[in-house]
Amino acid sequence: MTEHEQEDVPQFRERARAWLAANMEPQAPNRLARPRGAGHQTADDITAARALQRKVYEAGFFGIAWPKEYGGQGLTPAHQRAFQEEASHYEMPNLGVAGGTTFGVCANTMLRHASPEFLRRHLPRMLAGDELWVQFFSEPGAGSDLAGITTRATRDGDRWILNGAKVWSSGAYYADYGMCLARTNWDVPKHRGLTWFAVPTRAPGVTVRPIKEINGDIEFCEEFLDDVELSEDDVIGDVNDGWTVAQTMLVFERGGGGDFVPQGPRRATRLPPELVALARRVGRDQDPVVRQQIARVHIMNTVQIQLALRVASHMRAGTGPATGIAAYGKLAAGTFDPIRARLAMEIGRGAALVWEPDDLEGQRASLNYLNSRIMSIAGGTNEMQRNAIGERVLGLPREPSFDIDKPFSEVVRDAANWTGKV
Amino acid sequence: MRVDLELSDDQELLRATTERFIESAMPLSKVRELADAGDAPGADYARSGGDLGWFAMLVPEEHGGGSASGAGVLDAAILAEARGRVLQPGPFVAHNVVAYALAVSGSDAHRAAVLPALVAGEQTATWAVADATGDWNPDAGLRISRKDDGFVLSGAKSLVEDADRVDWVLVSAVDEEGAVQFLVARDTDGVDAHRLEGFDFTRRQCEVRFDDVHVPVAARVGDAVNTSATIDRQFWYAAALLTAESVGAMDALFGITVDYAKARTAFGRPIGSFQAVKHLLADTSLLLEESKAVAVAAARALQDDSPDAAEIVSIAKAFVGDSGIELAHNCWQVFGGIAYTWEHDLHLYLRRLTANASLYGEPAWHREHICTLQGL
Repeated sequence: MTEHEQEDVPQFRERARAWLAANMEPQAPNRLARPRGAGHQTADDITAARALQRKVYEAGFFGIAWPKEYGGQGLTPAHQRAFQEEASHYEMPNLGVAGGTTFGVCANTMLRHASPEFLRRHLPRMLAGDELWVQFFSEPGAGSDLAGITTRATRDGDRWILNGAKVWSSGAYYADYGMCLARTNWDVPKHRGLTWFAVPTRAPGVTVRPIKEINGDIEFCEEFLDDVELSEDDVIGDVNDGWTVAQTMLVFERGGGGDFVPQGPRRATRLPPELVALARRVGRDQDPVVRQQIARVHIMNTVQIQLALRVASHMRAGTGPATGIAAYGKLAAGTFDPIRARLAMEIGRGAALVWEPDDLEGQRASLNYLNSRIMSIAGGTNEMQRNAIGERVLGLPREPSFDIDKPFSEVVRDAANWTGKV
Repeated sequence: MRVDLELSDDQELLRATTERFIESAMPLSKVRELADAGDAPGADYARSGGDLGWFAMLVPEEHGGGSASGAGVLDAAILAEARGRVLQPGPFVAHNVVAYALAVSGSDAHRAAVLPALVAGEQTATWAVADATGDWNPDAGLRISRKDDGFVLSGAKSLVEDADRVDWVLVSAVDEEGAVQFLVARDTDGVDAHRLEGFDFTRRQCEVRFDDVHVPVAARVGDAVNTSATIDRQFWYAAALLTAESVGAMDALFGITVDYAKARTAFGRPIGSFQAVKHLLADTSLLLEESKAVAVAAARALQDDSPDAAEIVSIAKAFVGDSGIELAHNCWQVFGGIAYTWEHDLHLYLRRLTANASLYGEPAWHREHICTLQGL
């Protein structure tokens, strides 16, 4: 890679363009995106995507802005953006939701908290497509109150033994590792006894079970950890400092992060094509009510893009608390998505209720409708975003809490005997 | 949080000097005093505004104008936002629109005799385009006929800001040959401008009657070829500046509401600690941040003369119009009963934001306009 050390962005772009043209398949024109819910990634899909990923990585076009010592190219975010722009016309490796989690959330978090040894061991493999990571984060009994997790990691000599259950881990059925939050100390307040671990999904004692969702899709999984044995090398960050790591992770999960730049056009250039098509199909594109509805969705799309750009400049300028600022983008999606989806159902009328099996257009509105509360629940509910904005950005006082200052073992006991009296 | 995050030093200075002037010359207490008395600011208000650059931003330097940063529309939007925070009365939006119209399509005489005085704030102007129903098409309310070597105007325009106080009225209309505009002195025979009572009394809204007013050809602004497009642009500028003004008003109102939620206690703690209140304020904060983002986008699109500027202005006008009203209502709810009093400032903001949503096209009009622009 030394010959590219001084390479400026235009030169890099030129080289990327040439390589893409010679090595990658162009994107099929006007490809109708498959609606979510039609199935899930097959083992063959993932194997093919991993191979493609390795090809891009070995050519030096993945991990462009990542440190060289961890397998990246050590170039700038501008190089990264240049490549993304050039690559937007090609079929790039699609590692599905676990790919997004691996690179967008886990790796970025590890870069800030994991030891150099850990990073040298795992990051090059992640970039090469050999390690896909998901989050072992929420539990059946802890979602919004993430610090209330009860998966237990117990030290035994130089080993750690994990027991518990995790849920909502997207794509875990084909992932290689779970980045797992566990309680390592029960005798301190809840935020101070947490630690992160690297859990191989195929380790003895790990059971990954896919969950079928309301849209018919299988993306989420639940995991059971029964006496899973790990070593000291599998700890990410400092023992009992897991909450600090979790804060970083939440910023990335909400689409924040210092180098975050929204991709795609700076505004919605066209009226939402799927709504226009739906309106025409049911003969309502001249109906003033429907036109108002289509324009409303178009406005939301544009506003959401502009808001994302604004959030990104806040992040770059460091003008506010990152977890609070990132919450705006998340809450915008969580509030707009359900409205958009309902409007589509209204516009489509019968066409959104019944369809022939091969009719994707008819299905899309109803599938979007079923998916429309993903952003309002997953990765921090709207209510959690509102708390983050209210408390961290606006500076409003917190609600009184009953679990901050006492050992977590007492919190669990007292919650079970809750009377409402303080 | 700040409205535009990327202000240059020149723009910071522009904003700071205007804020200082408003604080001393026209604070909210003074706005209220004028409104209660049905009065308007003295001529020195416009002159000081002229000194601060309020009317120069949309006018090229060769006609006496000039921006602070080289980006006049953005500068004007910064001023509009700063003025909106304190619900400033006119002249501003309509006056700027007239200055812009004269700069791009006025006669040499208009540019030489009138425009410099408008830029300096020594004379004032307003734009008569809508009728009393709130129809902003230039043909609203007025009939134009040709007579001898001039035109005859008859009918009435309404929703004309400051019309009973200004020196000049730019009248937009449509005759049999297309869109026309005239610059008419307010004291012309047959022109009767009188103040209307109104919902938003923080500024003066007037009706202007034209009783067979004879207007010479020399009063015409623009020609048959370009006038329709110029009126469109005037409308976009007005809508974008009014949107920036609304965002300023929203930011100020939201700020005092959050302060109140921290200071007011009930059930033994600040009301802002209750999630019912906190979440309402968080949602409102989101509306505000979205409004800021899209208002800046609209000003940028006009600044850059983007091909889709008309559409992004409509998007911003519709979204901020609706959001301004929702924000005012949410803040009202947080204040509770105190905001139902005349003495509290909330109703001044509620009135301004609600009126701004309707002026220069209500949200539903802009939504339909977006569909039309997109060929649906």
